[in-house]
Amino acid sequence: MVPTMVPIRAPELDVPYSFCSQPRSLLPRPKYREQSNAAETEKGPRRYGNIMIDPRVVRGNALSLRLLPESTQPSTPEVKKQRKAQKKLQARKLTQEQIRTGTPEPVEGREHVHVQTELYLEEISDRIIEVDGECQTDEFLDRPPTPLFIPAKTGKDVATQIEEGELFDFDIEVKPILEVLIGKTVEQALLEVMEEEELAQLWSHQRAFAELRNAEFAELQRLEEQDRRIREEKERRRLEHLEKLRKQKETAEKVAARAFAQRYLADLIPSVFNNLYDRGFFYDPIERDIETEFLPWLMSEVEETLQKKVLGRVMLDSLIRTVVEKRLDEFSHPPPSNQTEAPAEEPRATDAAPQASGEADAADQPV
Amino acid sequence: MAQPRISAYLPPDIDPTKAPLAFGRRALPKLNEELRSPELLTQQRALMALCDLVHDPEKVYQAIALGFLDNLKTLLVHHDQTVRQKTTEVLSIVALHSIGRQGLIQTGVISALTELLDDPVDICRKNTHRIFDMMAKLPEGAGGVLRAGLIPPLVLKLKTELDEIQELILDTLSNCLRVEVSEALAAGAVTVLKEKLSHPSTAIRSKAAWVLLEISSHAEGKVAVCEEGVIPALVSLLEDTQPEVQVSTTGALMFAAVTPQGRSSAMGAEAIPPLLKLVAEETSKARLNAIKTLTLLAELPEGRQTLLDHRDTFQRCLDDRSEAVQRAAQIAITVIEWKP
Repeated sequence: MVPTMVPIRAPELDVPYSFCSQPRSLLPRPKYREQSNAAETEKGPRRYGNIMIDPRVVRGNALSLRLLPESTQPSTPEVKKQRKAQKKLQARKLTQEQIRTGTPEPVEGREHVHVQTELYLEEISDRIIEVDGECQTDEFLDRPPTPLFIPAKTGKDVATQIEEGELFDFDIEVKPILEVLIGKTVEQALLEVMEEEELAQLWSHQRAFAELRNAEFAELQRLEEQDRRIREEKERRRLEHLEKLRKQKETAEKVAARAFAQRYLADLIPSVFNNLYDRGFFYDPIERDIETEFLPWLMSEVEETLQKKVLGRVMLDSLIRTVVEKRLDEFSHPPPSNQTEAPAEEPRATDAAPQASGEADAADQPV
Repeated sequence: MAQPRISAYLPPDIDPTKAPLAFGRRALPKLNEELRSPELLTQQRALMALCDLVHDPEKVYQAIALGFLDNLKTLLVHHDQTVRQKTTEVLSIVALHSIGRQGLIQTGVISALTELLDDPVDICRKNTHRIFDMMAKLPEGAGGVLRAGLIPPLVLKLKTELDEIQELILDTLSNCLRVEVSEALAAGAVTVLKEKLSHPSTAIRSKAAWVLLEISSHAEGKVAVCEEGVIPALVSLLEDTQPEVQVSTTGALMFAAVTPQGRSSAMGAEAIPPLLKLVAEETSKARLNAIKTLTLLAELPEGRQTLLDHRDTFQRCLDDRSEAVQRAAQIAITVIEWKP
C-alpha cells in the first residue's frame, strides 16, 4: 500500500464524520453453498464472522507491495483476437470430442470470461528479506532491593505545633468518659451487690419461714405426743376398767355358783339317806335273817312237797294213759259198734283223769 | 467524626484472660464450641468469659437450652486446676438461678461432683460445697443429694475440712436431713455434731445446732439424740450470747423434748432457768422456740410446778409483735394451768 496521506479535512463540527462507504461487518461466508434447512435452523442467529479466519481478508506482510489485478473488463482488441482463436480451437475440440461437462452456461446478463492467472501472478522477487531474530532474557539475578524512592523535595516546608489547651480542654472532655467508666463500674458493682442482697433477703425470708415452720412442727409434735399419751392413758384405763368388770363378773358368778352349790348340796344328806334307805342298805338283821335264810328254806321245802305231789300225779297220769291205750287197742280191733263207745269212753276217761288230778290239787291247796 | 459517646460494648481485647464474645445470640454457641476445643488456653478463656455471662438469668436459660451443662460436666474432671476451679464457679453461679438448679438436677451433675469432694484445691471444694448447698435448698435437689449417697462422705468431711467449708456442709446437711435422717444417723452424725457444738466459731455452732434440730424433728433422730446425751450439751449452749446460736439451740431442744425421755433429760439438765431468761428478753429471736420448749417441759408435773410461778413472764409475751409468739404464749399458759 502506498502510504497516502489521508486528506486532512478540517473537522466540521456540525456534520458528523462520514465514510465513503458505510462500514459494515460481513457475515461469515458459508463453507458449503448448499446447506440443509436443519443445519440452518440449528445454527441460530448468524454471528459476525471472525476476521482472523476470514479468507477474504488480506494477510501477510503488511508492508509488502501488492499490485491490484488489472481490470477485468476486456478492452484491447488483441486480447479479443486471441480469444476468438482460442474459441475456435475449442470448438474444434468440442466437435471432435464429446461434449464434456464444462462450466455451465452463463446466466443471463453475465458473461463467462476465461481468465488466466498468469497475469496475476507475482514474482516472489519482491519478497522482502526477512531475518529471524531471537532474543532471550538472562536468568533473573538477585535484584538488590530498590532504594527507597524519595522524590525530590518540592514545595515549601511548613511546620505546625499544637499548644496545650488549643485542641480541647481535657477536663471538660474527660467528663463524659469518666462518667461512663465510673457509671459502668458502679452499675456492675450495684448489680453484684443487688444479687447478693437479693439472695440474702431470700435466705432470711426462708430462715424466718423455717423458724415458724419449726415452731409449728414442734407444736404439732407436742400435740401428737400429748395425744398419744392421752390415748395410751385412755387405753390403759379402759383395759383396767374391763379387767375390773371382768373380775367383778367373775366374783359375782363365783358367789352365785357357791350359793347355788350350797343350796343344792343342802338336802344332799337327807336324799342320800333316803336313797339308801330306799335301796335297803339299812335293814333289821332278824328280818333280814328270816328273809334270807328262813323263807328260801321254806320255799324249797314247799317245792319239794309239791314236786312230790306232781310226781304222783304224773305217775297216775301215765298209769291212766297206759290203761286207756290198752283199752283202745283192745276196742279198735273189735267191730265198729264199739267205736262210738270208745271215743265216748275216752273223753270220759280223760275227763275223769283231770277231774281226779283237779281233786288232788284242791286237796293240796288248803295245806 | 469522633463522638464522646462510648458504645455499650467494651472494647474487644480489654481483658486478655477472657475469650472474645461473639455478637448477640452467637456468643454462647461460640463459647460452647470453644469449651470443647483441645487447646487448654481456649478452654480457660472461654470459662472466664462464661463466668461473667452466667450472672444474667437470660443467658443461663440460653446456656442450658444449648446443652452447656454436659460440657461442663466433662470439664469437671479436667487435670488443670484452673479449668476445674472455673467450672465449679460457673456451676455454682448457675445453681443460684432456679432454671439452673433444675438443669443441674436433670443432667445429673450432682453425682459428677462427688468426685470433686477430695480435690486438692480449696476453691474447687468450696465451690462444690456451695453447689450442694444451693441444690439442697430445693426439695428435688435435696432428694438428688440424698440419692447420690452424699451424706456419709459429707459427715466424714465435717471432721476434716476447713471452717468455711464446714459451714457450707452443715447448711447442706440441715436441708437434706429435713427429708431423711437414717443415713446420717448410720454415719454417726450426732457424735460429730456434738463436738461441733463446742467449736469456737459462732456460725459453726449455730449451724451445728440447726442440723441437730433437723435431725431431732424425725422420730429416730429424737431417739438417737437422747441416747447420745446431746441434750445436756445443748442446755449448756443456751448460755451462749450469740442470737443465732440461741435460736438454733432452743429449736433443737424444742424438738428433742417432745419425747418423754428427752423431756426428762432436759429437766435433769436444768433447762428451765436459761429458757425463762430467753423468754423474758423482749428482742430475742429465740423467744418463740424457748416458749415452745417450755410448753413441752410444762407437761411434766415437776415442770408445771416450777412454771406456775413464772406465769407473768408468759403474760408479757402475749404483747409481743409477732403473732406466732402470742399464740405460743397462749398455748403455754393453757398447758401450765391444766389440771388433770
